[in-house]
Amino acid sequence: MIVKADTTEKKIDVQYYALLREERGLSFETVMTIAQTPKELYGELQKRHGFRLPIERLKVAVNDAFQDWDSPLQPNDNVVFIPPVAGG
Amino acid sequence: MFQISTSPIDEVALKKRLENPKAGAFVSFEGWVRNHHEGREVVLLEYEAFEALAQSEAEKILQEAVSRFEIEEAICVHRTGALCIGALAVWVGVTAAHRGAAFQACQYIMDAIKSRLPIWKKEHYANGDSGWVNCQHCASHSGSDNHHVDKSLGFDEVHYYERQMRLPEVGAEGQATLKQSKVLVVGAGGLGSAALLYLASAGVGTLGICEFDNLEPSNLHRQVLYHASDAGQSKCELAKRRLQALNPFIHIQTYDKKLDLNNIEGILNHYDLVLDCTDNFKTKFLLNDAAVHFQKPLIQASIYQYEGQLQLYLPNGDSPCLRCLWPEMPEADCTGTCEDVGVLGAVPGVFGTLQAMEALKYLLGLPTDLNRHVLMMDLLTSRVQKIRQIQNPACPICGENADRESFLTMMNGNAEEEIDLEIDLAACSREHLNAFQWVDIREAHECLQDDFEALLVQQIPLSRFNLEISTLSPQHAYLVFCQKGIRSKKLVRVLRQQGFTKVYSVQGGVKQIQNWLKAPLQ
Repeated sequence: MIVKADTTEKKIDVQYYALLREERGLSFETVMTIAQTPKELYGELQKRHGFRLPIERLKVAVNDAFQDWDSPLQPNDNVVFIPPVAGG
Repeated sequence: MFQISTSPIDEVALKKRLENPKAGAFVSFEGWVRNHHEGREVVLLEYEAFEALAQSEAEKILQEAVSRFEIEEAICVHRTGALCIGALAVWVGVTAAHRGAAFQACQYIMDAIKSRLPIWKKEHYANGDSGWVNCQHCASHSGSDNHHVDKSLGFDEVHYYERQMRLPEVGAEGQATLKQSKVLVVGAGGLGSAALLYLASAGVGTLGICEFDNLEPSNLHRQVLYHASDAGQSKCELAKRRLQALNPFIHIQTYDKKLDLNNIEGILNHYDLVLDCTDNFKTKFLLNDAAVHFQKPLIQASIYQYEGQLQLYLPNGDSPCLRCLWPEMPEADCTGTCEDVGVLGAVPGVFGTLQAMEALKYLLGLPTDLNRHVLMMDLLTSRVQKIRQIQNPACPICGENADRESFLTMMNGNAEEEIDLEIDLAACSREHLNAFQWVDIREAHECLQDDFEALLVQQIPLSRFNLEISTLSPQHAYLVFCQKGIRSKKLVRVLRQQGFTKVYSVQGGVKQIQNWLKAPLQ
């Protein structure tokens, strides 16, 4: 997929679950970002907050549907990062 | 011939059908709607039947009558719908060469119809109230002992379910469907406690419980099936006892063992639906793969601290499975268990209850969309989300290229991981290990230097093991050790084949035990 370079900032709602929520210390935030894809967004947030989980161990949902890491992000998208959980 | 009729019974026509030159006797029975029940004035009755089951069961009853008594023919018709006082509710007619057989067969048929058919009546009382009465209850008035009244309770099954039978989605037919249903719950921990309690009390007729742990004190804050005084005992048996006391009208089957490749098919085959209430990826993926392989609907839930996820796999549909999202089993270290990260008991309570709710919806044929969504809930923020998920064509288990071969490969992969014969002491809590009896299999000359007084060790030298094995019970949990952990591992492999499901070898042998004893208490 060819993603057009775009350096304008957009507003994205981000939600964290499980280990990520713990590491971030909150479950929801709104960020301004130039990230074009969920992959870029996670990379940016990982650097900022020191998340330990590599991207391969996560799933991402955009606007309430699981999505590819390389799908394009639109302004005001809702992005959810989901680690696997197994507790019971 | 048996018939359920929504219109009035024409007993004259029925009698005509039975006319037979070989018959020297004709006996008929008529059941009428009477105006009182247990001291209350009744003004109207409504009969409801689970028709398919009633039909097949009644035909069986008539067949039994023909083979037990020397009769020519028997006919029974049962009404459903609203009936006034005095109306004919059930008619039985029997012809035979002689009167004795005709009398006996008629009584046999009527008693069996009352006690075995899933037919309920709703009585409307003069004061405006109404209540469901199971016809099986009425069977007790005939002196038959085949009914579902618990004498010590003083009430019968239908009173137990009355409030849920009032729901139009349940009713008598739905209740009968639940009674016919068989549900397996794997894991009787936090999720399983809640799920089992609600499935049992809803009247799921057969409940299977698969759980191999003993109850630990640290389980009690979330595993509400158990009592504090039960600590140390087998959770499987405790759960059965508790649930049977909660609902004496259901059947409970226990599997006090770990699920593995060898036993999973035999267990799953008995059930219509499976609930994954486990707490580890190994069993979750094994169950998922087996559910896809054996085409069993599966309701999965997992929790983490204050949040959880729920999803439903339905065979023969377009619902994705666990591997559609996670083709490879995630590493255990990218999440945490309740033991490591902590959990508030109400969280598995919520998700286990949701699993029970989805199970009841499935059994009652009510629609759900959790077969195409993962439900995620954060109970700290009360945020609830349903995330759409589609089948992954590349899924190794249910995808386009998945075949029987790939199922078996995946299952074998699971099985390899499942065979854990050893325990790493450093990775276990002391509380967990308290449930085990230690067994030292070293020869006498090897044991001179060591002192494990603190552990209450049973000594059975390997050379004498076959002679003394009768002192061990396959139901008990044992930790077997030797000098290095090599002989003990071999022995454990053999013991597992002999039915000792809770026996483990101590990894690293004596040295590891010494280190573990020296380590500060966790």
